[in-house]
Amino acid sequence: MHEWKQAQEELRNTQAEIAHLTRVMTMGELTASIAHEVNQPLAGIITNASTCLRMLAADPPNIEGAQETARRTIRDGNRASDVVTRLRALFSKKEPAAEPVDLNEATQEVVALTSSQLERGTVSLRLELADDLPLVSGDRVQLQQVILNLIRNASDAMSAVEDRPRQLLIRTGRDDGDGVRVTVKDTGAGVDPQAANRLFEPFYTTKSGGMGIGLSVSRSIVESHRGRLWAASNDGPGATFAFSVPRGSRSQ
Amino acid sequence: MMGVRSLVSVVDDDESVRESLPDLLKVLGFAAQAFASAEEFLASNYVQQTRCLVLDVAMPGMSGPDLQRELARRHQAIPIVFITAHRDETMRPRMLERGAAECLFKPFSDTALLEALNTALRMS
Repeated sequence: MHEWKQAQEELRNTQAEIAHLTRVMTMGELTASIAHEVNQPLAGIITNASTCLRMLAADPPNIEGAQETARRTIRDGNRASDVVTRLRALFSKKEPAAEPVDLNEATQEVVALTSSQLERGTVSLRLELADDLPLVSGDRVQLQQVILNLIRNASDAMSAVEDRPRQLLIRTGRDDGDGVRVTVKDTGAGVDPQAANRLFEPFYTTKSGGMGIGLSVSRSIVESHRGRLWAASNDGPGATFAFSVPRGSRSQ
Repeated sequence: MMGVRSLVSVVDDDESVRESLPDLLKVLGFAAQAFASAEEFLASNYVQQTRCLVLDVAMPGMSGPDLQRELARRHQAIPIVFITAHRDETMRPRMLERGAAECLFKPFSDTALLEALNTALRMS
């Protein structure tokens, strides 16, 4: 966990624009910060409501004090509601920023930041970048967040593997149609066929510490780029996750 | 009546905690003071009188555990109830091991707080 956070920290430092910072958090960081943001006002709500009840139960009841704590309860409730509104904005399918993105370059940047962590997890990495890859139009940081999520999932899926090499293959290439594709293939635990259709659902997770939002956010990002994200079982052990984005994709 | 109430000092960078917790503590029969940072608490005149600290773990500047170490260095034996909005199950045993009276995850109930305070005050 700590190492991924460190990778994230480095990724942050390489991103010049401050506006991008909040959108490049790993899902682990995002989950922790959501929980933190919601728990703070909840603490206020529960403390104020407890105080309010005790003030009303006093003899004589402290009406003014109770009114003040009730007002604070409402304010903290609004604070919690603001957090939810901000989250909704984060998860909503709003139009991503449109800039020319070289997915080879974007992938290499993410790989550079995660390679030392992969090495420590004794994961061998092969990178196959296609020549003459067309640029896509989209939000570079969002697409990098997707790549980071897929690499992290692959690495997590291989952490318990002891009886075979832990291999990660990341490949870019043209899609059959007009798209550009990024493929992340691992030799990990693989995808349970029964759960395959649930993988992208919010809050579905196979990790003990996971919250199940990484893939659902990733898919939402890819779809907002008019692309698609999918998973498949390998012929051998492990799973392959891939997304493709149409070249020059973007509405407006 | 006034002088016999034990002083509980709350140190938390979150404003709604600083606003709400002292009132609850007063209703529970304690005297209460709130501080926005560990530094503010150390610079105040309340360190000597404080019978128990309700202390946020993660704060900008000096953290809760930093303050705990600083108080130990000064030989100020104030029992500490840590509070945190980061729900990390490994944190509580770690905190207890390092001498905390209790470690509560936000949001916590008034009875959990009262129990923690009673544990803390028995330690002093």
